[in-house]
Amino acid sequence: MTKNNSFMHPAAEMYASEEKAGKLDRREFISRATALGVSTVAAYGLLGLDAPAEAGGHAKMGGTIRMQMDVKAMKDPRTHDWTQISIFSAGWLEYLVEYNSDGSFKPMLLSSWEANADATQYVLKIREGVKWNNGDDFTADDVARNIIGWCDKGLEGNSMAGRMASLVDEATGKAREGAVVAVDSSTVHLNLLQPDITIVPGMADYPAQIVHKSFTVETMVSNPIGTGFMLPENLEVGVKASIVKNEGFEWWGYAAGKGGYIDRIEFIDYGSDPATHMAGFESEEFDLNWETTGEFVELYDALGLVKSQVASGATIVVRPNQGHAPYDNKMVRQALAMAVDNEILNELGNAGLGVAADNCHVGPMHPEHNPDVTRAPFNPGKAKELMDASGHGDFEHELRSLDTGFWKDTCDAVAAQLRDAGIKVKRTLMPGSTFWNDWTKFPYSATNWNHRPLGTQVLGLAYKSGEAWNEFAWSNAEFDGLLAEANSLANADERRVVMGKIQALVIEEGVTCQPYWRLVQRHHVEGLVGVDMHIAYLPQIYKWGHAV
Amino acid sequence: MGIFILRRTGVMLLTAICLTFIVFLMTNLYPNLEKLAKNEGNFRMSDAEVASFLGNRGYTQGKLQNYGEWLGVLPGYVIEGIDGKTRGRCSNHGAIVENTGKYCGVIQGNWGFSSRFKEPVSKIVAKRLALTGKLMFWVLAVMIPSALIIGIMAGMREGSRLDRALSTGAIVTTATPEYVSGVIFIAVFTSSAVGLKWFKGSATSAMDHATLENFLLPVLTIALYGMGYIARMTRASMAEVMTAQYIRTARLKGVSFANIVLKHALRNALIAPFTVIMLQIPWLLNGVVIVEVLFNFKGFGWVLVQAASNNDIDLLLAVSVVSVVVVLLTQLISDIGYVFLNPRIRIT
Repeated sequence: MTKNNSFMHPAAEMYASEEKAGKLDRREFISRATALGVSTVAAYGLLGLDAPAEAGGHAKMGGTIRMQMDVKAMKDPRTHDWTQISIFSAGWLEYLVEYNSDGSFKPMLLSSWEANADATQYVLKIREGVKWNNGDDFTADDVARNIIGWCDKGLEGNSMAGRMASLVDEATGKAREGAVVAVDSSTVHLNLLQPDITIVPGMADYPAQIVHKSFTVETMVSNPIGTGFMLPENLEVGVKASIVKNEGFEWWGYAAGKGGYIDRIEFIDYGSDPATHMAGFESEEFDLNWETTGEFVELYDALGLVKSQVASGATIVVRPNQGHAPYDNKMVRQALAMAVDNEILNELGNAGLGVAADNCHVGPMHPEHNPDVTRAPFNPGKAKELMDASGHGDFEHELRSLDTGFWKDTCDAVAAQLRDAGIKVKRTLMPGSTFWNDWTKFPYSATNWNHRPLGTQVLGLAYKSGEAWNEFAWSNAEFDGLLAEANSLANADERRVVMGKIQALVIEEGVTCQPYWRLVQRHHVEGLVGVDMHIAYLPQIYKWGHAV
Repeated sequence: MGIFILRRTGVMLLTAICLTFIVFLMTNLYPNLEKLAKNEGNFRMSDAEVASFLGNRGYTQGKLQNYGEWLGVLPGYVIEGIDGKTRGRCSNHGAIVENTGKYCGVIQGNWGFSSRFKEPVSKIVAKRLALTGKLMFWVLAVMIPSALIIGIMAGMREGSRLDRALSTGAIVTTATPEYVSGVIFIAVFTSSAVGLKWFKGSATSAMDHATLENFLLPVLTIALYGMGYIARMTRASMAEVMTAQYIRTARLKGVSFANIVLKHALRNALIAPFTVIMLQIPWLLNGVVIVEVLFNFKGFGWVLVQAASNNDIDLLLAVSVVSVVVVLLTQLISDIGYVFLNPRIRIT
């Protein structure tokens, strides 16, 4: 079921012709095209160029990389609440499955997995030849024990229990009897309560690190048993930490061609003030930062640092609530979406740090996204006609938002474009302390949503009838049926067919304006490979290295 | 003198006990405990999980009981949690092992375990205090001589052009707080924006190897602020002494100006600045908070910020004890120093 993301995004080809016509510069083209999921090599190929050595991914063995990152105290992986914690323990603790920025899932400690037709049973195949660094063999029992551990709701702060909900017995707060079965030394069966396609994405999330049977929280750093190619060297919370290559250990990834280039990684804590990070970068005290935000993107670009950027599923919705008149009228909703240009909202509302979206809350970072379904075209004249036809041509809309950041800027830009189209609108700004108390209930307001690996996940949380977070007050039996169907299809290619219908329905109903996908980025010095920003900040340190 | 020092030590102990008790009560307010639990467990924990986390680790006992345990006058708790694990204070809120002691408080020499850094508090405080000590040493080494020289030069001829120039300079540096001067220094001397790049804008590497390049700016930022203040005090004191009768007499006798300043005026003029310098030391201890954060130099000020923002109870208590000791110790030194500078004062 591993999806190979080989499709070429149509927009990337369009950007390439713009670049050749001189409308886009090369850097912008590469960042836009790669943000759409086009690989760097393919992106350069569109321009008729060879990818530079760094982008090609040729790393040499050895070397040290220093990264600016918050250094936090170690705890049980299941209770990790910051990816910064997991990236340190990722040195010796690995994952069953890996989630990549292009939306694909790749096997790591598993060699493959398969779901039955309605996604209620999974067969996990364990990778052959994996050994723990104390010499033990890695077997199906290890996998079963870890999955059962994930299901333990009794452990305070265990967020894996929520991801494994379809295996958990509500009464005992533990894994159901017979839910996780090690059939033989290389096979584990999962028997789910209900169809669930999110269980594999759940296994790829950052708290899902696989630990040895002798694992205890107290000794996890002093006695680091794991399957990974590195070992912890020192950990000074809030100051610095380092992991070093486990010399002499035959890591499975070397044979599998996974990499494992670097000898030593240092994490240095610079606190939360980005200005301090910049001083550290300028003092050449580290090679790579954790994340670049806001105005610092331009500043770091100007310093000549290499930017690695990816369009995440983090986004904003500027939505009417159908529980309030006149938003129960479909024409009004369609008019609101049609009157605004998402490109302009990205420029004005998000400082251009995003990629325009199609008003359906599913995008190219989701494996089942159907790129053929696009938004209702931007057409202010048509929008005004629709608004008048609905009988609400003179209605003054009240658009509420938070009083800061991209929420405010985006809504200001929406209001300006609505006025340009001849639709009356007034803006109301609210502080976070009052806004979030009622965010699902306002007639017309804006909310941000975080990235989730599958397109169906946010749809299930926010668009399904009767859900607590359904801020659209949208209730549509056809949509619910399609979503349930999509949720039982574990294969992304099969799911894409259904997803196309869902996207079209959300757009046709004018459920929301969802203008752009936000970009996340980090910067690094020249000559590093594999240190790219990850869409979900996952720690894939085995890819890190110095360019040949 | 002996009795005086003894009495001062008694006051110090009493102050430390009062202060730590107040800090203890504040950090043990339930919302603060909740913060602690979420920092240690998982910051999306539910209320029930927070309650069981705190209960299992003895935080919900009586406040006096917990304070007594911290002091070491009461035996540390041993609680069998609802998850079946037995935890105790004397094993750092972890599982009880065989030879765990019964009492483990300050009296037994155990300053507790930091929840933020997962290390014994005594180790953290010693290490971070040494780093701040390094910073303070260089600050004082730069600040005191230059402040005294500027103050004396300005004060020996009140109203002269030299006095006006130096006083204006002193006022400017005192009127510029560290968070302004530090930012200006970083912008001018380290960034590519201005392009000088003479020094480094981050003192992270100075924790291991301090060089002129990475350590000058943080030292200068603190030193300049205190320097202007001490220079102003020295100048005022010097100017006053220079108008005294005995100086006039010396001048009439024909003593050279240099001799008047160095032999007759200096000692008397130093009494006031001496107090100010001693007062400045505990003040520097919180002045470094800003500079340490700005330059990412992880010393005592940074530990204070970390302990406070994570509600790290044991660490905060130790930090407050250290602060009390530093404040009262410098006061003691300044009182004793008086005796040597001014024979008319006697300590009983």
